[in-house]
Amino acid sequence: MTIEITNLTAGYGKEPVLKNINIRIDQGKICALLGHNGSGKTTLINCLNALIKPSRGRVTVMGKDISRLDRVHIARLISVVPQSSYSVFNFPVLDMILMGSASRLKAWASPGRKEKQKAYRVMEEVGISGLATARYNELSGGQQQLVLLARALFQDTPLMLLDEPNSHLDFCNQHRIMQLMSEMVKIRGITAIITLHDPNLALYYCDQIIMLKEGEVVDQGLTEQIMNENNLRRALGENISIDSTMVGLPVVVPRNLCDCFDEHLLKKEAARNAM
Amino acid sequence: MQRHTWILLIVLALISVMVALNLGRYAISIPEACGIVLDSCGIKGILPPPTERSAIVFWNVRIPRIIMAFAVGCGISIAGVVFQAIFRNPLASPDILGVSAGCAFGAALSIVFFNGIAMAGIQGSAFFFGILAVSLTYLLGSRSWDKSTAVLVISGIVVSALFQAGLSILQYISDPYDQLAKIMFWTMGSFQVSTWEKVQITLPIIIIGSIILGVFGWRLNIMTQDEKDILSLGIDLKRWRMLYLGVGTLIVAAAVSTVGDIRWVGLIMPHIARFIVGTEHKKLVPAAGLLGGSFLLFMDTFARTATTAEIPISIITSIFGAPFLAYLVLKRVGGASKVDH
Repeated sequence: MTIEITNLTAGYGKEPVLKNINIRIDQGKICALLGHNGSGKTTLINCLNALIKPSRGRVTVMGKDISRLDRVHIARLISVVPQSSYSVFNFPVLDMILMGSASRLKAWASPGRKEKQKAYRVMEEVGISGLATARYNELSGGQQQLVLLARALFQDTPLMLLDEPNSHLDFCNQHRIMQLMSEMVKIRGITAIITLHDPNLALYYCDQIIMLKEGEVVDQGLTEQIMNENNLRRALGENISIDSTMVGLPVVVPRNLCDCFDEHLLKKEAARNAM
Repeated sequence: MQRHTWILLIVLALISVMVALNLGRYAISIPEACGIVLDSCGIKGILPPPTERSAIVFWNVRIPRIIMAFAVGCGISIAGVVFQAIFRNPLASPDILGVSAGCAFGAALSIVFFNGIAMAGIQGSAFFFGILAVSLTYLLGSRSWDKSTAVLVISGIVVSALFQAGLSILQYISDPYDQLAKIMFWTMGSFQVSTWEKVQITLPIIIIGSIILGVFGWRLNIMTQDEKDILSLGIDLKRWRMLYLGVGTLIVAAAVSTVGDIRWVGLIMPHIARFIVGTEHKKLVPAAGLLGGSFLLFMDTFARTATTAEIPISIITSIFGAPFLAYLVLKRVGGASKVDH
């Protein structure tokens, strides 16, 4: 399945947020949208999910023009994991996940035994089977995010959109969500588009990267081709470097941190020489 | 949810009916009531034959009133569940869009300007203005660029305030010895006016509306989520919101235009039902209906038997309802609920 965005211009008022962008995302890939706040990542996600009507251009998923589909058909193609979601009524986790079956069911129907079994299987995949009867609002931020991820997986769509799913999570949970996503993309053969603030997460877990700046695409392509200092500086700011850890793993860090690190190494070296 | 919870809710409803039958200025015992029913079906000799007076009281006074009280309680509670879900607000009540204020204005208008009009005329006027108030709320809300439910709530407050002002003007200009008393009695609600004729008009709307809301109950779970999430899950938000609010409003307008304003029932019964059966709306809708029907029937029985003169129903529901809600809030049990899968 290919996702194609052609000449897309969209926004919320008169001033467009996204300006004439063209994007192509390949099937079975996990693709990161990188860019600083206000670069248009969430607007792009909203366009992909047909929540915003573009003023120009079109979005096609599996060759289908999203703007011509109704909500049920869009929900059969695309599922969304939001940044966070507060539920006014404190539903059990299983009920939260079962909501993902709405697009498959008749208008008057409710999820039956088969849907419940499927929901339990997804919870097992995500590692939250023990939380089926727990109350959603009483879970930690990380657990809530896993529930939302399970709901999107339960929706069983070929394309998943994740809008900054890590923004409220601690370090370990950020990696847990990304690991899970990259496993699911491989196992299920689905495509995932994920907006991220941390370029390291994109570097480690994503196959494809699209860098955005002020509503325009800075560059797009395979991670190993795109993740270079030049692009990162154009998209995220001048103060960016790519360094390597002791084990040779590349890390994206602010440049002043690199300088501090170099200084620290020089001091260490000097102390060793003095001995 | 366990089967015995449903059995308990049904038993509670039956008890409320039996108590309502048994208590009153003319008491009808359960065997007597059974005798009247059997006699009407042509089965004689099993139970002692009922007196003509008890049969008249049973069929023409007690039964229409019981049906009306139970149906109105059931309908308003179900509408309460729906409104709380759609507005994602546990404090939303069915009159949030101005239906009660519209009905009260309509009833007062017909009392003041069409003095001596039949009760059906007052009911028709109340129903018309109830629906008109909600339509104005929609119209006002749809003119805003913001399509969220918050705008609808604000529009409802505006429309309610206008109709309340209209009601105050009507009360001010009404004849204090006749019309004002009628308006006051109507706005405080009473089942004294229940007749078979009114049951025939009101009951089908409440039954059909409640069935529709019950059938589409599961989707109300999704309607409680964030608007973007609702759309992403495949729900046409505008269409489904219109269906739920339209049907809920029809139920409330039919109920309030017949028996006057019924306060608190639509607010507290959904909370109690949520505590008993959980947050899942497929179960919550019928449970709230059974509980609301039983509660209002108990309250009406109390209203007509506690003193020699009948107490307006809204006074009773407020006296019992408000402290109970305070208890729920203090104990924080409103949001909690049972889990069973």
